[in-house]
Amino acid sequence: MLKTKDLSYWYQDASQPLFKEVNLEFEAGQSYAILGHSGTGKTTFLSLIAGLDHPKDGEILLGDRSLKQIGLTNYRRHDVAIVFQAYNLFAYMSPLDNLLTAMAITGAEHAGDKAYASQILRDLGIGDDLITRNVQHLSGGQQQRVAIARTMACDAKLVVADEPTGNLDEDNTHAVIAQFQKIAHEQQKCVIIVTHEPDVAAQCDHQYRLENKQFTQLA
Amino acid sequence: MNFCKRAWLNVWAKKGRSVLLILVSAAILMFVLAGLLIRSAAIKATNQAKADVGATVTLSANRQAAFKQMRQSSSSSSSKSSRPKLTLTPVKLSDATKIAQLSNVGSYNVTSTTSANAKSYDTVSTSTGMGGSSSGGPGGMKSGSSSSGDTQIDGVTATSLTSDFSDKQSKIVKGRGITTSDKNTNHVVIEKELASQNNLSVGDTMTFKQTTGSKTTVKVKVVGIYKASSSSSSTAGPMSTDPSNTVYTSYTLANSIKGSKYAGTADSVTFNVTNPSKVSSVKTAGNKLISSSKYSLSTDDASYQTVKASMSSVESFANKIVWLVAIAGTIILALIVILMIRERRFEIGVLLSLGEARWKIVAQFFTEMVMVLVVALAIAGVGGKFVGNQLGSQLVSQTATTTQTTSSTTSNQPGGSSQGGGGQPGGQGQNGGPGRTTNSTKQANTKLAITVSAVDLAELGGFGLAITFLSIMIASGGILRLEPRKVLIS
Ligand SMILES: Nc1ncnc2c1ncn2[C@@H]1O[C@H](COP(=O)(O)OP(=O)(O)OP(=O)(O)O)[C@@H](O)[C@H]1O
Ligand SMILES: [Mg+2]
Repeated sequence: MLKTKDLSYWYQDASQPLFKEVNLEFEAGQSYAILGHSGTGKTTFLSLIAGLDHPKDGEILLGDRSLKQIGLTNYRRHDVAIVFQAYNLFAYMSPLDNLLTAMAITGAEHAGDKAYASQILRDLGIGDDLITRNVQHLSGGQQQRVAIARTMACDAKLVVADEPTGNLDEDNTHAVIAQFQKIAHEQQKCVIIVTHEPDVAAQCDHQYRLENKQFTQLA
Repeated sequence: MNFCKRAWLNVWAKKGRSVLLILVSAAILMFVLAGLLIRSAAIKATNQAKADVGATVTLSANRQAAFKQMRQSSSSSSSKSSRPKLTLTPVKLSDATKIAQLSNVGSYNVTSTTSANAKSYDTVSTSTGMGGSSSGGPGGMKSGSSSSGDTQIDGVTATSLTSDFSDKQSKIVKGRGITTSDKNTNHVVIEKELASQNNLSVGDTMTFKQTTGSKTTVKVKVVGIYKASSSSSSTAGPMSTDPSNTVYTSYTLANSIKGSKYAGTADSVTFNVTNPSKVSSVKTAGNKLISSSKYSLSTDDASYQTVKASMSSVESFANKIVWLVAIAGTIILALIVILMIRERRFEIGVLLSLGEARWKIVAQFFTEMVMVLVVALAIAGVGGKFVGNQLGSQLVSQTATTTQTTSSTTSNQPGGSSQGGGGQPGGQGQNGGPGRTTNSTKQANTKLAITVSAVDLAELGGFGLAITFLSIMIASGGILRLEPRKVLIS
């Protein structure tokens, strides 16, 4: 469902591109892991996929339409859900309000449905006692799960996550990855995860490594 | 509207920050309100003062033209030994009625001043220090110098229309003043001291003797007694008689004492201009109705101009406060909002990553500020009245003193010119003449009434909205250009 066509990117002050002429394809109902050393450009790549920036060269296609044609704001609102390292939650809201806000902005099918949002949080282990508490009073793992719950509450078919397990212990890491798998397989979404950990990558359906400006699929 | 809900959640979650913002906004609004209040009070007071003070146009003989003529005749007929004569044409009342028909002219007062000698009574002599010498007899000092008598007769249309009475320099203490109904009667109003010295009271009669012509005796009836204030006696020049010897009559009686040829004339006629700002147009229109070689129209709107000037300075000061505070407030608020919004870059990034429209993000900030503003407005409404009152009273006491000084200098001018005129020979003992319209005590009662009305609050609310809107717009310049990637990835 998502294709990159000769995708290249470089920062203004860099002499070399981070990656060059990348051609990849991501399918709905599948999960993808992207590995690579620090500073190779994984987050940068993900930000392009998430519609946070324009590629320097080449294009990204959703179905047969390029992101440029769709419009980045429109694309972000309807087609992609993002989980970033810093969880990107609204600090002044409760978990429930975070979900409801995202659902309202993206115009999700279940927008305004508190029961639906509460159920998703409950499924991810955010109990009713935490649901209306300020998110800043939740632990890192709990916040991460709220961020994941938010991607599930919205209708976007593409979910991108940047090191979603970076701050989590082993048990939580396992639970979170299982949740992503569930999103991919049960909700028929396309999940793309950037990670350092080979264990995490191994649980995904496909693995890619970013090295020498190119993505290579691992066996 | 989702951004409204977000705004509320944010304001509520960050209570401390919200309270601080409310206090800052309230302080700014309070000063704006104070400025607005002073301005509206100043406008009100200006209108009131303008209506109170009034202005006059006076029709009198054209002295300048008369002097010129006198000089011309004296040079052309230098061979003749006779002294040049200054002939002042008395004002015709028919002219006066024509001018009275002009628009913006209200009531008018006919003044005809003359003098007579006491017959049935004794005049009051000034008993200060060397008073002994002057008390040689009634009119002793004056009788020799000219044909003027010891009693000054002020013929008027009505005493209430004279500046002395309207300025409260003189007051009726018994009986009544001269009114229009006293026309063609022998009614007089005399001063309290003259009355008590001669045991005269309302209803009594007294007699004068004409100073000129057949020197016939005139019998008059006292209908009222007035009290001249000490200030009016102190302003009297050294050569005049004691002010207590001034008797008010209808101008018709004064004219008949002057002589039969003075019927239907006056020394001067003073018209009250209902709208003081129209004084010069009344003068222009009036000049078309009279023979300018014989008569002249002079205006007196000095006190109106003084009040106008001082009040407009209050007004412009208030305007300056409003603008200064509004500009300073906008800058302060804009800085706070800019800092606040910078601190919320991450949140903005999250919103943008969710695909939120940029204008809705700005709208959220604006909504938050409006919520803050509503509370601040209530606080400012209470506090602004207090600040406005303090500032207002300060301002008025300050301008009142400046008004007093300016008005006292301007009121000197008519007095000064009439003194110069008083030095010339002849005349019917014209004491002061047409220039005697001083309003020096009028301006003091300009007080600023500070009240907070719903309109003021609405205006203030509008101001607050404009300030916050501007601040948010300035601060949002960055948001609208912000790239979410730069915020979220670092
Ligand atoms: N805004 C920027 N301007 C210039 N260079 C940047 C900018 N952001 C990142 N870079 C550089 O681009 C390269 C790739 O950064 P990126 O964050 O994509 O790496 P990454 O693979 O996600 O690394 P990590 O695994 O440590 O998160 C790095 O060398 C980084 O220094
Ligand atoms: Mg990274």
